[in-house]
Amino acid sequence: MSRRSSQRRGISRLAPYLLGLPAFVWLGFFFLVPLGLMLVKTLQECNPATGACVMTWHWASLSDAWANSSTIIFRSLTYALIATLIDLVLSFPIAYWIAFYAGRRKNFFLIMLLVPFFVSFVIRTVIWKFLLSSDGLVVHTLQALHLVSADYQILGTTGAVIAGLAYNFLPFTALPLYVSLERLNPALLEASQDLYAGRITTFRKVVLPLCAPGIFAAFLLTFIPAFGDYINQQVLGGFANTMVGTVIQNLFLVNNDFSAGSALSVIVMGISLVGIVIYGRLLGSKSIGDFV
Amino acid sequence: MSEFPQNIDPAILRGLLSPRISRRHVLQAGAVAGAASVLLPSVADAATGDASWWASRSKTGQLNFANWPYYIDTYNGRHPSLDNLKTTKGITTTYSEVIEDNPTFYQQIRPSLQAGDSIGYDIIVMTDNAIGLRYLLNGNYLVPLDDAALVNFKKNASASAKAVYANSGKRLIPWVSGMTSLAYNSSKVSTNTNSLKMAFDTSSSNVAKLRNRVGMLSDPIELGNMALLALGKNPATSTPSDWQLAATKLRQQRDSGLVKAYYGNDIINELKQGNLWVGQVYSGDVFQARIGGNKNLKLMNPTEGVLLWTDNMCIPKGAAHPRDAMMAIDYFYDTSVAAVLAYYINYITPVPGAKAKLTAPTKGWQATTMTNLKKDIGVAASLITAAPEVFPTSAYKLKNYYAFKNQGEIDTWNEKFAGIPNGL
Repeated sequence: MSRRSSQRRGISRLAPYLLGLPAFVWLGFFFLVPLGLMLVKTLQECNPATGACVMTWHWASLSDAWANSSTIIFRSLTYALIATLIDLVLSFPIAYWIAFYAGRRKNFFLIMLLVPFFVSFVIRTVIWKFLLSSDGLVVHTLQALHLVSADYQILGTTGAVIAGLAYNFLPFTALPLYVSLERLNPALLEASQDLYAGRITTFRKVVLPLCAPGIFAAFLLTFIPAFGDYINQQVLGGFANTMVGTVIQNLFLVNNDFSAGSALSVIVMGISLVGIVIYGRLLGSKSIGDFV
Repeated sequence: MSEFPQNIDPAILRGLLSPRISRRHVLQAGAVAGAASVLLPSVADAATGDASWWASRSKTGQLNFANWPYYIDTYNGRHPSLDNLKTTKGITTTYSEVIEDNPTFYQQIRPSLQAGDSIGYDIIVMTDNAIGLRYLLNGNYLVPLDDAALVNFKKNASASAKAVYANSGKRLIPWVSGMTSLAYNSSKVSTNTNSLKMAFDTSSSNVAKLRNRVGMLSDPIELGNMALLALGKNPATSTPSDWQLAATKLRQQRDSGLVKAYYGNDIINELKQGNLWVGQVYSGDVFQARIGGNKNLKLMNPTEGVLLWTDNMCIPKGAAHPRDAMMAIDYFYDTSVAAVLAYYINYITPVPGAKAKLTAPTKGWQATTMTNLKKDIGVAASLITAAPEVFPTSAYKLKNYYAFKNQGEIDTWNEKFAGIPNGL
């Protein structure tokens, strides 16, 4: 009896790891191995003609990549941060309203939120380009209303890039926010009001802390892809707002410079990883054992 | 760093001293085995492409053709010239518009070529100034063509097309050529000057006129060579110190506020949509934009000259249907077929005889096809024959791109120019 129960305890201790095995294998093969290979490429010197690489332990690739692109990395971080904040501010009321006030039509409104995103990312961005071009609807209308000058441009500006990022990544912010708000027990809000907390205090002291993990998840899910994105910048931006994704793409595909491209990718992934670690430490579960 | 090889075909070396087009291809082809011995794994199968190899290749009735978008006649979703290839030669073509740019396409096909596998295409089209094509020649990844099968080619090809073929070790045959120059929107930019200065003059008056309205190509090869022209240098004979001057010129142009961004093939759309007023363009795109209704878009014939490039057909090693590919390549040099292609593609045809066939088509397939295509194209064939973008006159000073002699030069070039579109 006691042996059987200790066996059961052993199995139950292993169970979460066994259940997590497919995920570990998946992550191992499709995330860790490519990440490791990327780091290895960074330290190699590659022949652009053949793609053949020789290990030279060239750690300077990383410092060179940083020296060449630190301005662009900071610019990308800034754009991604601004776009993420815009998305948080825009999608919080939407998610809040759907979670608490949409009633039986929650699913309908969620689908409405997602409908534009059924269209491919690139096509959506290209359509924005048509809208914002100098001969396009937006600029023409603004010019017709004499709100802007004849040579006013939107395309190619930093504003266009950030707006594109904010637009394209909105669902990545709205959905985690919705999930965390939807799980919030309305009785807690009533309790807060019963304890004489006003609406703002309730929001600040009850809603915000309870959906902090959702906000942080939304932040990461938006910020990280926006940081590495190159489509918005290439379609809507100009050279003055080049983002790091474009540089990586050019290094790999135009210049065939695999080690420099890998080095910059490693730096970008490193920065993203810092965000994920902070999330894990502050708000995520500490270990899989928490679920036992 | 590999220098040019010692074992180049003497015919190629002779080409070093021959006219313009020859020279470029010589240097390209010259890069072949030299780098191969140092940079590349050796490719066995040395006999591929010789007479006995070709003798044992027979027709299969299938052809896989990889080309660039908008590079073949299209009517009602079909390609009449390929339909006619089926009718006349019994070859069914699977036509794929998969080549968006040279470097990416090279990276896509490289692993299969290195592994000795088929890349899935029997004909591919790559640009002579592309480093990727240089690597393909270098690595001996292209099949020398069957000379005996080139009947139309020998009869109808232009002298420069024949030079390309000869100087590439019989591995390249031109599909079309084109010019890289500037285009400008004549309704926005009033000019009597035909000078690249329009895009490069960083004086405050020019910047005030064109701030954020100039677009350049992001390809470092195009960018660097045009800047060399703007400096009054001949790109083909330029030196690394000229490259430095050109890179400085490009940075001045960029940082003056003239340049809005650096583009790929889509730069023509930026000009059409009015986002750019001046842009570095490929000639045929401007012609197509103009006949498509953008009448204000003009191709400049700069006093400094224009850059001439050629997109070439070639058969990659491992191709499953080389005989069919060979037959198709020669078929495209039929004057009637070439006329149909020129009518639709609007780039420079390597078949001079196509000009006469454009205005006096052969009855039957060509005449019917031209009538059908006219419904879509909307302009008479005589307009095409009169277009300098398709049949350039001697008024255009055609200049060659710089031809790299070794990998070190490619690296130096990239160091100078590749960072410019990224703001570096």
